[in-house]
Amino acid sequence: MKRWLVAMLALSLILVGSGAWAAQDPIKIGVLVPLSGIVAQGGVEMRDGIDMAAKEKKTILGRPIELLVEDTQIKPDVAVSKAEKLVFKDGAIALIGVFSSGVGLALAKNIDRLGVPFLTTHVMTTEFYGLHKWVFRCGQLANDQTAIGNVNGILATPTLKDRTYYVLVHDYAWGHDAGARFIALAKKSNIKIYNDSFDKAPTSTTDWSSYISKIKAAGVDGIYIAFITNVIPVFAKQAFDFGLQKTMKIVSAAAPGPVELEAGGEACYGIFGASDWSWDVNSPTSDAWEKKYFETYKTIPSDAAVHSYVGAMNLFNAIDKAGSTDPDKIAQALRGISFDGPYGTVRISAKDNCARNDAVLTETMAASSNPYGAKVVMKVLRTFKADELGPPE
Amino acid sequence: MTTYIEIALNSLVLGGVFLIVAIGLNIVYGLSRVMNLAHGSLYTLGAYFGFTLVASGVNFFIALILAPILVGVAGLLIERTVISLMRKRSMVYTLILTYGLMFFLDGLVRYIWGNETRFIELPGFMKRTISVAGVNYPVFRLIILFIIAAVMAGLMLLLGKTKTGITMRAASQIPEMVSCLGISMTWVHIGAFVLGCVLAGIAGVVAGPLFTVYPTMGHQMLLSSFVVIVIGGLGSLRGAVMAALLIGLVQNLAEFFITDLAMVIVYMMMAVILAIMPRGLLGEGRFE
Repeated sequence: MKRWLVAMLALSLILVGSGAWAAQDPIKIGVLVPLSGIVAQGGVEMRDGIDMAAKEKKTILGRPIELLVEDTQIKPDVAVSKAEKLVFKDGAIALIGVFSSGVGLALAKNIDRLGVPFLTTHVMTTEFYGLHKWVFRCGQLANDQTAIGNVNGILATPTLKDRTYYVLVHDYAWGHDAGARFIALAKKSNIKIYNDSFDKAPTSTTDWSSYISKIKAAGVDGIYIAFITNVIPVFAKQAFDFGLQKTMKIVSAAAPGPVELEAGGEACYGIFGASDWSWDVNSPTSDAWEKKYFETYKTIPSDAAVHSYVGAMNLFNAIDKAGSTDPDKIAQALRGISFDGPYGTVRISAKDNCARNDAVLTETMAASSNPYGAKVVMKVLRTFKADELGPPE
Repeated sequence: MTTYIEIALNSLVLGGVFLIVAIGLNIVYGLSRVMNLAHGSLYTLGAYFGFTLVASGVNFFIALILAPILVGVAGLLIERTVISLMRKRSMVYTLILTYGLMFFLDGLVRYIWGNETRFIELPGFMKRTISVAGVNYPVFRLIILFIIAAVMAGLMLLLGKTKTGITMRAASQIPEMVSCLGISMTWVHIGAFVLGCVLAGIAGVVAGPLFTVYPTMGHQMLLSSFVVIVIGGLGSLRGAVMAALLIGLVQNLAEFFITDLAMVIVYMMMAVILAIMPRGLLGEGRFE
């Protein structure tokens, strides 16, 4: 009898022990960001934003969060093979991040095979609306939302109104979509466009002088650009060398990275654009978030970091809400979920799996004294309500 | 008319930067038979050295001298520790080796300077524009043209008028004969590799303020340099000059007039020239 009791006790200890260990098995989340190439800085900011969310959330389903970070090199084939590794080898139960529409679309195409939910924090193409039951967007504004923000911003800003815009985009899916959306909407709003069939520059372009000569020759007084975030200051700097900003205003379809803005300095003043957020947004939540981000990562808080943080919080909370790692249950929980963060309530639409949130129109200018030591600020000119940016549900 | 003058100046600047990088690559190949795939990364290294020096308060023109010397020293270390070991093997070995070296140098740059894009700050007078035949053109771009012209003149003098240069040229044609004269081919190889690295360094410092500085800036430049040396003829310095100017002009004109197909035209031109003139524009190219 005694032996039985000892054996039972030992067995129950083993079972309880193994249960406890199992409970401590981390929930693995695959983070796909570019950590090499020209957009590497943006990838680092995305990774840090997601990391901050994981540190704040601490656990999902009572288990610690483990972020498995992979470099996509912003190449679709590389991203797909890294996603396969994350899911099939490492055991990630969801994928998050992804810079570039081309990469995002390639992953979405493979999502049935991967068998996990995928939430992008950076892909802007409108093709993501209702693309797949497991594919979500919660982060950077989509191209249609940015176009509405920029067109409304142009109409509401006296220095931008009544100009003729030359449209120049990066030659890939996102750039084409951003250019076409802006032109269609601008023409409806009687904003003059110089080149309806807008120019497309290769993403490898380093010397912008011939494009600048073309813009000068066109005799326009406004430029609409849709460039990969980190290239915006590069173009602005070269345009500044040619004195373009003396007569022209630049409106951008993507928010420039603050680190690059710093490096570009004075040449980067006067860039307008709609985006989720800037550290110039003043609210207790925003101020607390940017303070914590700066203390943790020792760099100026960026739009890329903040919307990656918000996207990650929505994903983590959805897994908790689902109470399971089953992809269908997580996807179901993601539909309609919302998070109150640095730029207000960010809700994922149950209709099309993409986020709706407030946003801001900013202009880059010399910064006044600030805790981050930043010399350039994306000054908030006005705020857009989520309903204004759409799309309707 | 002013637009065409601007395009011509832009073409000279772009072609000039291509030229300095490509000619360095060509010298290394022509004199030591090493196709250095890490050449673009040495150009990147030059840009970062230039950035660091200028950011530390060194005058831009002093940085233009110091940074290439530092790249030359890095080149010397690379040549002595890695390249020389592979010299007697087939070119495939050095290709693979320098391909790996490219990633090593890129990683090193990222480790030291991070991923951020950097701008080399120029002295105030170089940030202005100046009127050239009715075109308001950036002063720095005009200074680049003078720097490129000075580098090319110096190079021509070195290779054409000095004993060292004549020895190097002879070694590129008949290395066995140079060896028979008691001249160490090892020194020729070292000299060629270091000279190529110094040229990459100069191009990096010049291109830094022009195109900005970032860890993988050398990849695209390496590709453009290959286009230059293929069109100019592998190992031909005169051919490289012509090809660089031609590519600068074609790329600028194509970007201006048929923007969306600009790079297609450049690469198509390379394919056509390679097909009908396999030894380059002047027929001086060498193949092994």
